[in-house]
Formats: sequence, C-alpha cells, structure tokens
Amino acid sequence: MNRRKFLTILGSAGVASALGTAKVAKAAGGTHTWPYYENSYGVLHDTTRCIGCRRCEEGCNKVNNLPGPDKPFDDLSVLDKPRRMTPNAWTVVNKYELDGKPVFRKLQCFHCNDPACASACFAKCFQKQPDGSVTYDGSQCVGCRYCMVACPFYVPSFEYDDAWDPLVQKCTFCEPRLREGKLPGCVEACPMDALTFGRRSDLIKVARARIKANPDKYADYIYGEWDAGGTAWMVLVPAVPAEHSLAETGHEFRALGLDTHLGNRPMGELTAGALGAVPMIVAFWPVLFGGAYAISKRREAMHKAETETIIRDAREDMANVMDAAVRKIAETQGPGVADTARQAMADALRTREETCANRGHHGEDK
Amino acid sequence: MRNGTTLLLLTAIAVAGAAYLTLGDAGPAPAAAPALASVSDAPSALVIFPVGEKPNPEGVGMKPVAFNHLLHENRVENCESCHHTGDTAACTTCHTLEGRAEGKFVTLAQAMHSPNSARKGQGNTPQSCTSCHAKQLQRPECAGCHSIVKPARSETYCSTCHNVSGLTKGDMVAGIAGSLPDGRNAELAVDTLKTRENPVQLQPADGPYKVFIDEIADQYKASMFAHRRHVASLMERVKDNSLAAAFHNQPTTLCSTCHHYSPLKDTPPKCGSCHSQRINPANPERPQLKAAYHLLCMGCHKGMNVARPLNTSCVTCHKQSEAKPADSAAAKLGGE
Repeated sequence: MNRRKFLTILGSAGVASALGTAKVAKAAGGTHTWPYYENSYGVLHDTTRCIGCRRCEEGCNKVNNLPGPDKPFDDLSVLDKPRRMTPNAWTVVNKYELDGKPVFRKLQCFHCNDPACASACFAKCFQKQPDGSVTYDGSQCVGCRYCMVACPFYVPSFEYDDAWDPLVQKCTFCEPRLREGKLPGCVEACPMDALTFGRRSDLIKVARARIKANPDKYADYIYGEWDAGGTAWMVLVPAVPAEHSLAETGHEFRALGLDTHLGNRPMGELTAGALGAVPMIVAFWPVLFGGAYAISKRREAMHKAETETIIRDAREDMANVMDAAVRKIAETQGPGVADTARQAMADALRTREETCANRGHHGEDK
Repeated sequence: MRNGTTLLLLTAIAVAGAAYLTLGDAGPAPAAAPALASVSDAPSALVIFPVGEKPNPEGVGMKPVAFNHLLHENRVENCESCHHTGDTAACTTCHTLEGRAEGKFVTLAQAMHSPNSARKGQGNTPQSCTSCHAKQLQRPECAGCHSIVKPARSETYCSTCHNVSGLTKGDMVAGIAGSLPDGRNAELAVDTLKTRENPVQLQPADGPYKVFIDEIADQYKASMFAHRRHVASLMERVKDNSLAAAFHNQPTTLCSTCHHYSPLKDTPPKCGSCHSQRINPANPERPQLKAAYHLLCMGCHKGMNVARPLNTSCVTCHKQSEAKPADSAAAKLGGE
C-alpha cells in the first residue's frame, strides 16, 4: 500500500463516518420520539386554579415515603420565599406576583419529550419511558451531576448530605403508581383540579378549549407544548389585561419563573452533533495517526536501504579502481612499490570517509 | 361565626331583602322611572332600525331594538361615550347594514356588537352596546357569576334587546329606509318599553334553607352550605340593577351559574350526577366532584372580592373529621 492509496481509503472512511454522524444528529432532534410516545401521559397545570394549599407537596411526600418536611404542609408561610426542589421534596409550590395579584405555580420535573438530563448523562441513568415519565436509575450513577447542569428547569437535586452513595433525586411522575393504574400523588391530592392528568395529546386539546372558552382569563399559550422540545407537564398561566401589560410579550410567563428562551427544540439536539462525532474520533484517530507513523517509518527504511546500496556500490567501484591501479603499478614498478601505493590509497580513502562522516555529523547538528 | 344568632339575623335580613324585592319589583319598566331626568333634548326612547341602502320592499331584517335613551344617558359618563365623534347624530347616519364611507365602513352590526375596539391614538375610542355591557360585568356584584359562566348566545339572549312590539310591515319598511317619522318611532319605542315585563326571579325561599354537602366527606366533615343566604345575598346586590333585570330573563337565570349545563328548572340535579369522584377518561375536562365544588365556590368568591374565608382555610367551611388524626400529613387524602 502506498501513501496515495492509504489516504484515499482514509478519506472515504472519513466521509462515510461524517455522514453517519449527521444521521445521528438528525435523529437526536426533531420528532424521533414519535410515534413511540404517541400515547404518553402528561399533566396540565392550570395556575389560574391553583390556590397554593401545598396539598400536592403533601401527597407527593406521602406516596413516595419521603422524610417529613421542615415545616408542616399546612404552614403556608413557606410560600413567602421562592423554593427549589430538594432530594426530599420532589415538588414545591411557589408564590409569584402577576399584575398585582398572587399566582401560585407548582414546580416539579417537566418530563421532557427528549430530556436534556438523559442526553447529558454518560452513564445512561435517565430514560424517557413510553408512558411519558423520565425515570432515573441510580445504580450506574457516578455523581457527576451533569444532569443538574443540563436540565433547563433546574429540577434534579443531589443528596449532598449523603457521604457514601449520594444520588440524584427528582419527581418520578409516580411511574410505579402509573403502572398500577393510579394517579400521581400530587394530582390525586389537588382539591382544585389545578392538575389534570391525561394523555398529552388530550391535554393539549383540553388546554386549547379552556383558552378558547375564557380568552380573557388565560394567556394564549400552552407552556411546554413546544418549549425545550415539548414536555409532558404543561402549564397554563393567567392573562394580563392588555391595558395593564406594558412589558414585552411573554412577561406573564417569566413572572411565574417560566423561562421563555428555551426554544422549541430539545436541549440534547444542541450537543448531539458534536457528541455524535466522539465515536468517530475514537475509531479513526488510531488508524489515522498509526498510518501516518507507518508511512514515515517506511520512508525512513527505504531511504536507509537506498543509501546503503549506493555506498556499497561506491565502495566496490573504488576497490576495483584501486585494485586495477595497484596491478598496473605492480607490473611497471614492482610489488614493493605496489604495496606502498595500496597502503597510501587505503589511508587516503579512510581519511576522506572520516572527513565526510564528520561533515555529515555537523550537518545534522545544525 | 356560624352560631344561631348570626344565622337568625342573616335570615331576617334575607327575608327582609326578599320581601323588599318582591314588593319593589311591581313597578313599570325603568323608562317610566321618575328619578331620571333627561340631560339632553334627545327623545327619551327610540327604535333603532336596521337601516340599509339596498332596496328592501318586504321589510326583511333583524327585529329592531327599542332603545331606552333616557336610561342610558343617565348611566354613561357623557354623550361622547356613545356618540364617539362628538356629533350627536343617530348611529344609523354613518353605520348602516352595508357600511358607509362616513362610518369608515363599520357596519351597524359591528358598531353595536363589537366586543372591543382598537384603541384610537387620538380622540374617543368607540364602544359598542356589547362592549360597554360586558364592562359592567366586571363589577363585583356581577363578576362572581360572570367570571365563571358566559351566557349562551341564544335566541332569548338576542331578544333581550331586539324586542320591539307592535311593529307593522309599513313601519319596518319605512324604518329600514330611514323615513319613519320621529313621532311614530318614539311611540313604538315607548309602547315597547312600557309593556316590557321582566320575569320574576325564583326567590330565596323557593330553594332549600341549608344544604349539607357530604358526598365526599372523609378527611373533613360535611360542609354546611347556606343556600338561601347565598341566593338572597346575590339577589340583594343586583336588585337595583336594570341591566341585570333586563338580561336575567328567565326565572332561573340566577340559579344557572351553579346549576349549570342542565335544563333550567327549580329542582336541578345534584352536582354528583355529572361530576364523578374520580376523573372520567371520557370527559377529562370535566372537574372531579371535589374540584367542581371548590372551583364554583372559590371562583365566585374571587370574582366578588370576598375576602373571607381564605381559599386555604379548609376548616372554615368543613370541620376536620374527628375520626382522623389531627395531623393532616398523616390523614388519609380524599378519595383514595
């Protein structure tokens, strides 16, 4: 195999693998989860109905056998400060102010259609299940917390106070209960039907119907229908009357802590192209650099062999010339003179070779 | 709060209110109310015809509206509230069925019914009958029900205004052409308004005194709902409201916020007839029974700015069950 042939093979392999990577990137985004999750479940959270009673927190705590709360669930003073999910509280209700009125919103895992946590986890701990839930299996978890960095909703929480086997904790969508045909604990506990459980496709219709029936009451947008590539849990927020709304569009969502900059593509799609190239690099870099090394090695060996042949030929030529000259001297002037001449010529040759070798050596040094 | 004395007192007030309503309601239509005095030289009442420029020899059109000008001019801020150009010409001068250049081709139907108009940069933003009436529904005494229900746009809804009586075909043809004499127009309007009778609403005493809501009592005891007190309170608040009197045009209209979606009658079905205790997959939008109660009670209280009880003060409406531990975390959650 010569150099040209090798590079041709390498080039075509590179193109083939680049095409393969592009295919992976395409599949990682958009709608590759459909129709696989066509009948997945979701929950619609209607914040116009939520009264901030914390019954959902209580229900979650009970069905998941979590440790008791810091403050009892009927103590509503905790709503005065914004809270985040903790390893022992997989859902919390926060109070926000919108147009001078209090609005409550329940925080939990949104159970994305194409979850960022799963795309970031190299131990494959997170799985989007066909029922719509995003589940976590801690048996392989190394505690890197990349999922916490990746999640656009700041959901996963880490057991920092566990010294031996700290795991990530987050809402499970009560996946074990769903399998038994039961509702999630929070949904069952809600006294206002601010949480409606159903197939995600049905919930979108329900949400649209509510917006249509009460256009003045609801902002005309279902948060989570498309945000971050779509989520199983979706949120309806109250409308602000046009004359009160001096801020730019979407401020009623931002006022409720719902980010409006997530875009409508899955988070994982942003990194799928780059990360998809990793296997290619792992597979082809040894071939690439191994090949380059082999080529240079081979060139060196060939060069050396060539040089040796030339030197050998030159030596033989020189020896022949010397023999001829010595024979000539022996015929004309006698063997004694011939021996002296041979000796002199051999000395001269050796001196010449030494000078050449020294010059070459200096040359290398330079 | 819910002791016998207070209840007695409230009942007395309710009965007094009801009696006052029954006695006070017998008067003629508001057009003849003596308290109103005209602030302009406009006719006190007039018929608004569907004026159009197309030939209409048969007089085919929507039933005209008998408009109580006197009543409305006393309710609005000033003449420009309706006469938005500042010129007190009749609406149909510029807004006809087909629209005219003078009215920027806003048709009569749009001018009267548009739910909202784009705010004008300069000058008066026009408002329609419908948009101004809708604004009235934001008053606390109205907003309780009207934040929950939207009246069906049925025939009875339209005929609340499109109600002129004693109209002949000749009157209609002339009215559409815009050539009906002012005298005949006013006569038709006054006759209609004088003969109009608003139906007498069902009275608080026609309903139950108390209702014990105990179908899902579990963690909490049954809730005592003071049905008669609530009805009396609602009626008391709108008793002087002529808009409510005109549009509450069925004896059971006031009942229909809570007793919704079933044909109106004085013995409505129970909430649990439609609202199941567990979500019904066939109707995922229909609230579960517990939520149905809470959404109605709290929705109305929110609309009417009722400060107490707080939405989260569970035991004000239903006492904690004694059978269950007081610690709510350990208590069984409803319905499981």
